[in-house]
Amino acid sequence: MIVTPQESAISTATKIETKNLEIFYGKFHAIKNANLAVGENSVMALIGPSGCGKSTFLRALNRMHDLTPGARVEGQVLLDGTNIYASGIDPVTVRHRIGMVFQRPNPFPKTIFENVVYGPKIHGLHNRKKLLEICERSLRGAALWDEVKDRLDRSALDLSGGQQQRLCIARCLAVDPEVILMDEPASALDPIATSKIEDLIDELKKLYTVVIVTHSMQQAARISDFTAFFLMGELIETAPTKSIFTTPRDKRTEDYITGRYG
Amino acid sequence: MATLEMSAGGVAKATSPSALQRKISQTLLRALTGVAALFSFAIIFIMLFFLLVYAYPAIRFNGWGFFTSPIWNIGNQYGSGVATRNGFSGAPGAEFGALVFIFGSVLSALLTMLVSVPLALMVGLALVYRIPRQLRPIANALVELMAGIPSVVYGLWGLVVLVPWISNALAPWVTSHLGFIPFLGGPTGSGTGLIASVFILSLMVIPIMVATTRDVILAQSNAIFEASMALGSTSWQAMTRAVLPSVRSGIVASIMLAFGRAIGETMAVLMVCGSAINAFPSNIFSPVNTIAAVIVSQLESALTDATGMAQRSLAELACTLFIITLLINVIARAMMRGADRREGRGHA
Repeated sequence: MIVTPQESAISTATKIETKNLEIFYGKFHAIKNANLAVGENSVMALIGPSGCGKSTFLRALNRMHDLTPGARVEGQVLLDGTNIYASGIDPVTVRHRIGMVFQRPNPFPKTIFENVVYGPKIHGLHNRKKLLEICERSLRGAALWDEVKDRLDRSALDLSGGQQQRLCIARCLAVDPEVILMDEPASALDPIATSKIEDLIDELKKLYTVVIVTHSMQQAARISDFTAFFLMGELIETAPTKSIFTTPRDKRTEDYITGRYG
Repeated sequence: MATLEMSAGGVAKATSPSALQRKISQTLLRALTGVAALFSFAIIFIMLFFLLVYAYPAIRFNGWGFFTSPIWNIGNQYGSGVATRNGFSGAPGAEFGALVFIFGSVLSALLTMLVSVPLALMVGLALVYRIPRQLRPIANALVELMAGIPSVVYGLWGLVVLVPWISNALAPWVTSHLGFIPFLGGPTGSGTGLIASVFILSLMVIPIMVATTRDVILAQSNAIFEASMALGSTSWQAMTRAVLPSVRSGIVASIMLAFGRAIGETMAVLMVCGSAINAFPSNIFSPVNTIAAVIVSQLESALTDATGMAQRSLAELACTLFIITLLINVIARAMMRGADRREGRGHA
């Protein structure tokens, strides 16, 4: 990867990094030799046409592929320099440090409060006062507190789709992760809910490192500091978001952003 | 369409046939489905109605004693005269108390649930999340096969394999090592009895619950499981704290179905329960009897009762079982609706 002067100027310490990452579903080679570094407190957007492997790549970053029968990951994913796929590393601990928000809001069929404190509770915290504190802090962090503070004991399924997604973000914040992975978090939401999520991401990067998959180039342009372009399982190009959309280095990136692939 | 019919049939039709035909077929369909829906309700009430009518003399003859007396005695069939109560007659000395059987039915069904619910949930979860993919078809086929075995086969297996094992191995060991615990010590008998019934019933209801548990989990997307895992839970926590609660209403339904099966199961229980009459179990090895089993085991002697009261009392037993099962269903539905409301789900 060529490092432009512009890029090195704004990049910070590397938080999470992949080295020679290969992912297979059975015999299908889904990700081929991907090398990507994400700086601390930055937003990295993963873009590319459907089926290019961007979600597959994302799920390798917190070992979610461990749960997919037939999926195999080779290479390294370094979190603060430590390979999370090394033997002796507990995937549960990894996922504690690297949170994830999914494409479709997936709150538990429990109350709003129980959703937010689910993580802290399974990690052994039962002090109700502390849980309430975490709940408020996380909901504030997800810009949802003012909308739900009077009905924490109501079912999370009563919330709108956009609220549910921010609840899922709050639930993720409650376990105090360092990195947040987002898999097209706004694709199932209406424009207003989407813009709320986008504003939120801008806030989140002050405290967290964010890697987000998006199928919308406009969204990537609005919210991310860096953008990585995937095509057919290959990581084609990584660059500061400003430059990738104005002066892409690779012909295939240019073709994609000018609308020549679906 | 019209041209096609003209050329084919040679009959010219000025208007489209479909408007009238649609109306007729729709009305017909509505009527048929209405009748079918009514039929399923009607059949329950017709059955209960005729059972009650047939049992009415026994209901009057037995009074509340039916539910409070542990004594079942069809009376002296060779004596002269009859005993008359509330205008209805039975054999002299006849007394029909169902308490032992009601108690036996409820107790064996409850104990069965105690044994089988945790096991079935574990196996259901294992089928979805634990068993390697290649083995799943085999495991699933086994579960379905187990659910399909006729109850008389379970009963016979219980009688020739399980009962001797209880009598020769389990009961002596339990009474000598755990006999100090209430209901685990004391006389052990022949091996037929409460514990044998519970084991056999568990074998019969576990496959039903395993299959439904598996199906309700699979019907739900993987999203809940993944959401929990992504928060750093272990897969055990994801299963027990996120997945199972989210399919609670389906699980409750399957538990109720299984309870209904356990409390109504006849043949297998009859073969291993020890057919207790006029006595309550004193420990888990004691002979018991259930409403369903006693109807069969008492039928032959009841048919010899010239007054007919013994038969009618068996019908009263049947009504009791019917109503218990109905009540369980109603309660289960109410519980499910309550749970759905609390969780904000609409109910089907």
